[in-house]
Amino acid sequence: MNKTVNINLAGIFFHIDEDAYLKLQRYLEAIKRSFTDSQGRSEIIADIEARIAELFSERVQNEKQVIRIKEVDEVISIMGQPEDYLVDDEIFEDEPQPTYKAKSAPSKKLFRDTENSYISGVSSGLGHYFGIDAIWIRLAWILLIFGAGTGILLYILLWILVPEAKTTTEKLMMKGEPVNISNIEKKIKDGFESVTDTVSGVAKNVSDSVSNAAKQVDVKKGANSIKSSSRTFFDTLGDIIMFFFKILAKFIGIILILIGAATLIALIIGLFSLGVVDIIHIPGLDLVDLANTGNTPIWLVSLLAFFAIGIPFFFLFYLGLKILINNLKSIGGIAKFSLLGLWLLSIIALVVIGIRQANEHAFKEYHIEKTQIPIRAMDTLNIKMTHNEIYNTGFNRSRSNFKLAHDDNGGKAIYASNIEILVKSTTDSIATIAIEKSADASSYDIAIDRAKQINYNFELRNKTLFLDSYLTTDPINKYSDQEVDIILYIPENTVVLFNNSTKSFLNYRKHDGNVISSKSVNHHMRILDNNSECLDCTEEDFELNIDAEGVKINDDGIIINADDSHIKIDENGIKAETDEVKVNIDSNGINIKTEN
Amino acid sequence: MKIENTKAQMRKGVLEFCILSVLKDDDAYVAEILGTLKDAKLLVVEGTIYPLLTRLKNAGLLNYRWEESTSGPPRKYYGLTETGKLFLKELDTTWSELHNAVTIVTSQKTTKK
Repeated sequence: MNKTVNINLAGIFFHIDEDAYLKLQRYLEAIKRSFTDSQGRSEIIADIEARIAELFSERVQNEKQVIRIKEVDEVISIMGQPEDYLVDDEIFEDEPQPTYKAKSAPSKKLFRDTENSYISGVSSGLGHYFGIDAIWIRLAWILLIFGAGTGILLYILLWILVPEAKTTTEKLMMKGEPVNISNIEKKIKDGFESVTDTVSGVAKNVSDSVSNAAKQVDVKKGANSIKSSSRTFFDTLGDIIMFFFKILAKFIGIILILIGAATLIALIIGLFSLGVVDIIHIPGLDLVDLANTGNTPIWLVSLLAFFAIGIPFFFLFYLGLKILINNLKSIGGIAKFSLLGLWLLSIIALVVIGIRQANEHAFKEYHIEKTQIPIRAMDTLNIKMTHNEIYNTGFNRSRSNFKLAHDDNGGKAIYASNIEILVKSTTDSIATIAIEKSADASSYDIAIDRAKQINYNFELRNKTLFLDSYLTTDPINKYSDQEVDIILYIPENTVVLFNNSTKSFLNYRKHDGNVISSKSVNHHMRILDNNSECLDCTEEDFELNIDAEGVKINDDGIIINADDSHIKIDENGIKAETDEVKVNIDSNGINIKTEN
Repeated sequence: MKIENTKAQMRKGVLEFCILSVLKDDDAYVAEILGTLKDAKLLVVEGTIYPLLTRLKNAGLLNYRWEESTSGPPRKYYGLTETGKLFLKELDTTWSELHNAVTIVTSQKTTKK
């Protein structure tokens, strides 16, 4: 009993015994290997197959008849052994070649032996060429690598330049065996046997002998991990580069995930806490609400901000995840587009809110209240700031500082410290105080209303003017740059004494009709026409700044340079130098040096 | 030196000439060419002819056409091209000269004997 195989030979269908099939296959394979592509191999094989099919057809009486090994043998005897094809092979060469059958030393060619290779088969190829074991070549490579690394360069060069032994003919030439059909067929047979030997059936492992084949299979097993049988140098190089790129990509992916996740978590915490604040009204955090003149709900703004910032970071996170995990499931087009839409909406909404908020500062309006105070020329007026315990800003104020607190009546009020004191001279006989209140709003009416809503108090007691250091307003008005400018019109020849507490509310210099600067505090200042003079200033209070040639006097000290002498007095001490004497007085003591 | 090798080489030299000669008058398919050559004992096995035919075709000396067959696969019918005819003519002349020369040389030897 025999198993049969169905084959299609030149378009004709045949039943063929398995052993006969294998024999036929081996035969055709052997013929195939005796030609090269340039000789029109595929066409020749097609013709031969057609002829074999014809011969089979002659021998098959009916469709059910099976081709047996006998028929195959007959056909092979008619067609000729593989050697017979080679007779014509010489005809193909335009130049006469040295005959293979001559027993002269067969010519060897250098090929890379990828079947017995560790990297690319350069060493085993060289081994075949020089007729020594490849292990010596490999040892030589290792020595060369230690010798300044020239080995690596040479190896790579050989890898590129030396062709790989691919065809059986090349493999025979590599080993210096005569290239004749018998050898080719032997090699192919060995290949088949080794395939049967290795159940895994890797590739056609062509080897010199069957015993050798088994040994080489072991070598291959060991080497398989570091090589693939037919690789070029560039394949491997490409793989190495790709490997590094992949690592880099994964690294970027991890960074993206970390950034995305951290931002999202921070945003969620922020959103949650803001939402909670909005609901349970934690005192102090109401400030946000006070500044929010546009009256947009906080939770809405925070939610919009969450989407506007969170969605791009979510995509960043997703991208990182996708880089890291190759077969990550897509979140789906619908989800992507709705997120994109949500993001755009959030951005638009935020822009609208922003414009509204900015619009709240479009108009700045003033409300001025003037009051005469009984201060005349030659009087001395003291000016002090009064502080509030609830809103204690101290002397150092910040213009944009504001605070929500309960006032004396138990109600809530915004306290702010946008107070500025200006002093101007007047020819009137009596002093005037003008309280100029201003506020921002989106319209003139609201602005003026807000300005009016500012509460600011002062008091004159015993020729002492007590000014509030703060302004208050109702929280409904929001915090919208409420300011109070106090303009004091003081008759000429009046003496004013600004208490130290006013220092931070005064302008730091005189300008625009302001005659008292913050430097004048704690001094009796006589108001002159558009100016003021200090009555009790000591010398040190004078601002002296002389910078002439050779003489320099300023805040830092005194420097005098003459032709042959040099004096310097500053915070470090006194230094006087002439050509002959050097005097130095500093924290180290007194040091006098003379030339002689 | 093996007699077989010499024989084979001698046959080989004239094989191309013979194939072209077979096709001189009529187109023929491979089996017919083979039949003629085998009858003349110029060929022992058939395999030899296929690379040869392909080579002659690739050189532009032969062309072929496909024809259906009642038994078996379609057949390739080979015929001479114009170049092939000229080529054959020249080979013919060469063969005649060679034949002459060989006859002269061999007959000379026999007369000497």
